[in-house]
Amino acid sequence: MADPARSDVAPSKIEICGVSKRYATDDPDTPLVLDNINLAIGDNEFVTLVGRSGCGKTTLLNIIGGLVESTHGDVKVNGRTVSGPGQGKGMVFQQHALFPWLTALQNVGFGCRNKGVHKAERDQIAHQLIELVGLHGFEDKYPAELSGGMQQRVAIARALATDPEILLMDEPFGALDELTRLEMQDELLRVWSAHKKTVVFVTHSISEALVLSDRVILLAARPGRIRREFPIPFPRPRKRTDPQMIALYDDIWKSLA
Amino acid sequence: MTTSVRWQDAVLGAAGTGGLFLLWELASRSGLVSTNVFPAPTTAIIGTLQTVPLADILGHVWTSLGRIFWGFALGAVLGTVIGIASGWYRALGVLTRPLIELLRPIPPLAWIPLAIIWFGLGEPSKVFVIFLGAFFPIVTSAYRGMIGIDPALLRVGQTMGLRGPMLLIRVAVPAAMPDLATGIRIGWGLSFGVLVAAELIAADRGMGFMIMNARQLGDVDVIVFGIILIGAINLITDYAIGAVIRRRIGRWHAI
Repeated sequence: MADPARSDVAPSKIEICGVSKRYATDDPDTPLVLDNINLAIGDNEFVTLVGRSGCGKTTLLNIIGGLVESTHGDVKVNGRTVSGPGQGKGMVFQQHALFPWLTALQNVGFGCRNKGVHKAERDQIAHQLIELVGLHGFEDKYPAELSGGMQQRVAIARALATDPEILLMDEPFGALDELTRLEMQDELLRVWSAHKKTVVFVTHSISEALVLSDRVILLAARPGRIRREFPIPFPRPRKRTDPQMIALYDDIWKSLA
Repeated sequence: MTTSVRWQDAVLGAAGTGGLFLLWELASRSGLVSTNVFPAPTTAIIGTLQTVPLADILGHVWTSLGRIFWGFALGAVLGTVIGIASGWYRALGVLTRPLIELLRPIPPLAWIPLAIIWFGLGEPSKVFVIFLGAFFPIVTSAYRGMIGIDPALLRVGQTMGLRGPMLLIRVAVPAAMPDLATGIRIGWGLSFGVLVAAELIAADRGMGFMIMNARQLGDVDVIVFGIILIGAINLITDYAIGAVIRRRIGRWHAI
């Protein structure tokens, strides 16, 4: 499962070329949120964007996802410029954003329904994914009837249902308590090993980034720019208490300060 | 536990209503209140059933329900469509909102004279006034529901490849449903109130007419009976609408 050299070998799945973002485009005096971001992300690579609040990591993720337009530069997926949301990019947000009027199963099947997948097949896919995220028996529960961790599991299953090549995750575990959060990190790695995807994961937890990713991209704020990259060459599953991990944690922490 | 609490509440509520009726009954029977002015509920009901044929009463009820059905249906459909469209298409909202805010505070009854001039004394003038009673609460709550949609839900819909009308139908409208349901319930109550008032003014059938006619005849029993009847029918229909709403959205939305 772990292949430290993969990101160096694999061709770029996502190419971020000179992306800048300024929210009030008509006023050149407003500060840039993102300033000339260049980044190549390999196929099946797990990349984490880390940085303080206001470093533009969520904005960058939304630009990759096609939800926000960049002011300059563009993002290419498979060599094609991103022009809008959808198109093989699944997203998971900090607030699970499940559809409250749909059951867990229906939420997971939502994307397939849009693609016109028949009910039988849709239900089969949804059941499999519900199983995968460990929610067997909760298929017919509504989001309000699930705990925070369960809701986020459903959200991950929903993002996977249309089998996107890219999974974009915006602090998906940020609203969870510490224990659930650790559990969900292991869960995500398990799901990721079963369904290989290119993952871009936003977090402000260094330890979360270290446990999960192939590469940590550290962003600096005002304007948001890449400060440093840290490849994480350790095989998974990783021990959070591994001395090498702790050394890397310190390294990232110092770069952040 | 919740169920037993609900039961207790229901029993307590029924006891309160029953107690009030009992007091009323006793006050009237003991001669504390003159029966000629305010007859006991049983006196009014028995007295009416003895003087007015049941078929006539049912006819009045049927006529009223027909009017309210058309007025309310028109108000609900137009209110829902305009409210949702105004919340979805920003430009339309900018256009319709001030107009709706301007007209909304006007009591529907103030329109009656104009309605009579426009539509005459027949059915359309009553349906129109009832329509106004239903339309404004529904259009307003539909709009509010649309404006208040969690933007994250729309973003998710977009990432799932939905846009335009499909995003509206599959995400926005269901998300606005709880607010819309509230509006529909308020609209029903309001159009019911407007109905009786409209019938008091110009009608030859209907529950409002029955009451007004009884006043001219000096038949207090029928007046009291009519008031009880209107209350009871409103209660039943409101409960039915509430039950339908709970069935539709009660599991995912606490009402």
